[in-house]
Amino acid sequence: MDFELTEDHKMLQGVVRDFAKNELSKYSKLNDQQHKIADEIIIRLKELGFFGVYLPEEYGGAGLDIMSYIIVIEELSKFCSATGVLISAHTSLCCDPIYQFGSEQQKSKYLSMLATGEKIGCILLTEPDAGSDVAAISTEYIVKDDYYLINGSKIFITNGGYKGIGILFATKDKALRHKGLSAFIVDLNSDSVEIIKNEDKMGIRGTFTTAFAINNLKVPKENLLGKEGDGFKIAMATLNGGRIGIAAQALGIAEGAFDKAKEYAKIRKQFGKSLSEFQAIQFKFADMATKIETAKLITYKAGWLKDNGKTNAMESAMCKLYASNTAMFVTNEALQIHGGYGYICDYEIERMFRDAKITEIYEGTSEIQKIVISNMLFKG
Amino acid sequence: MKILVSIKQVPDLESRFKLNEKGNWVVESDLAFRLNEYDEYAIEEAVRLKEKIGTDDVDITVLSIGPERVKEVIKKALAMGIDRGIYIKDNEAFSKDPFRIATIIHECVKDHGYDIIFTGMQSNDRSSCQVGVFLGELLGISTITTIIGFEYNNNVVTVKRELEGGKKMVLKCRLPLLLTCQLGLNTPRYPTLPNIMKAKKKEIKEYDVNDFDKITNNITITKLNYPEKKSKAEFLEGSVSDIAPKLVKIIKSKI
Repeated sequence: MDFELTEDHKMLQGVVRDFAKNELSKYSKLNDQQHKIADEIIIRLKELGFFGVYLPEEYGGAGLDIMSYIIVIEELSKFCSATGVLISAHTSLCCDPIYQFGSEQQKSKYLSMLATGEKIGCILLTEPDAGSDVAAISTEYIVKDDYYLINGSKIFITNGGYKGIGILFATKDKALRHKGLSAFIVDLNSDSVEIIKNEDKMGIRGTFTTAFAINNLKVPKENLLGKEGDGFKIAMATLNGGRIGIAAQALGIAEGAFDKAKEYAKIRKQFGKSLSEFQAIQFKFADMATKIETAKLITYKAGWLKDNGKTNAMESAMCKLYASNTAMFVTNEALQIHGGYGYICDYEIERMFRDAKITEIYEGTSEIQKIVISNMLFKG
Repeated sequence: MKILVSIKQVPDLESRFKLNEKGNWVVESDLAFRLNEYDEYAIEEAVRLKEKIGTDDVDITVLSIGPERVKEVIKKALAMGIDRGIYIKDNEAFSKDPFRIATIIHECVKDHGYDIIFTGMQSNDRSSCQVGVFLGELLGISTITTIIGFEYNNNVVTVKRELEGGKKMVLKCRLPLLLTCQLGLNTPRYPTLPNIMKAKKKEIKEYDVNDFDKITNNITITKLNYPEKKSKAEFLEGSVSDIAPKLVKIIKSKI
């Protein structure tokens, strides 16, 4: 058993950490304020190959492993979790289903655009009446001679505002529930795909969270992902993979907030001594550090299982559940340690606190993670 | 053209340093390590030269000495664009003086026929500024220190050096030569993820330090000290209009 990162992973960690600290950190506040990740950052992410971390080199990816992917998202999220989830949603929710379920032709056409960041990916799953209950999707497709005709609406689409490539889920007949669902690879740069709005939201404000209307969208037959009726299976497998990415994001948020609080507790003096000298504050750090270490261990383990081709659905749900809870706990305590300064926007801790909440909600709420875990415990 | 870049892995300056029991070095187990800053300029300049001349005509080797962990910085150099690596395993590298380190490198590379050797002008940990100069001397080649500008044309190198008081000096030199690199020479690139992957396939030749270590130390570190706390930092709090006058007052009192 070995709990050390390999030299390759340590080297990668150092590189991403330097980039996040020296370049990305200058934009984290701006991204939040402007509701958009700065173009300069998107360009740098492309140059450095962050859009295709574990996609094979033959499709323009870097060909690294899941552990590297976790490290990238974790390190980016320490300074800008909006950037972390840009990469996570793009990779886990769009590239991954194409990589896992796509035909060779689909892979060479779409993965090569996505892995280089030429197109930014998203998943179009959630609808106003279908969130956790994926089988309730009512966006409908009709089979035509040489295309599928799709109509409906989608909401809360992370990365939707880029109008890149989307994995769209639609049903043949809503009454069929999960058996009626199919998945399609869709170029969102189409007149039939209308952005209703990019949501104004509490945290990760740098990301687009988009509502779409889909009006008579014609999708070529060759863009069906897997077979007709595979939609539910593809959605579940995709969300399962995405959990590791969100766990990494949550872990990064927690570590970023912890570092800020630690720095602050050393320099802030009250009653003639540093905050870090008060046991009430020290105990907060002990709790935070313990939770962060635990979240890191289980997230890395889920990644290790996946890299070694072992079953990881339970650990993926566990790491998402635990790391998102840790992000909430740590940002809350870190803000408390900052006192009044934590509440004002000059100190970045309030942004981290706002960013943390979504990790308990998207890509399966904490409650859904518990269903996934307990189902596996009792239903085999 | 054959180029060598000699690099060192050093403790991250943001680490918490604790002295060992003897008080002659730091406890390494708690430290994070990274590539020596000045060596990063050396790598970047070598890779730029290769990109300028043409990738087929230039072959760059990176060399480092130390315990297993130093392979991490060798791999970073490979990911930045260096072609191949030499790793000399030595768990006691920290205790060897600069001349001894230079002789080890010399023993290893003396028959390789490098045209240019780039190295950092100093290391962030020992700051002796000697290894590069000794190595140039042992190899019997020209050595120019603390360069902040570099150009290559038809076997002639033009470099800019920094002198005291902000003065600059420009020199021309024929190959072969050794250059020690100073801050300001260039802005090192971040390795891209695809290049990190490619670096995994590059060759790293491994040696044991005993193959090359022929001498004993001339210099030994007897004691390290923590810096004395002279003045304490003062933090001003409040709104800008509160802080500004206080700040002005403090600055005036110090002039």
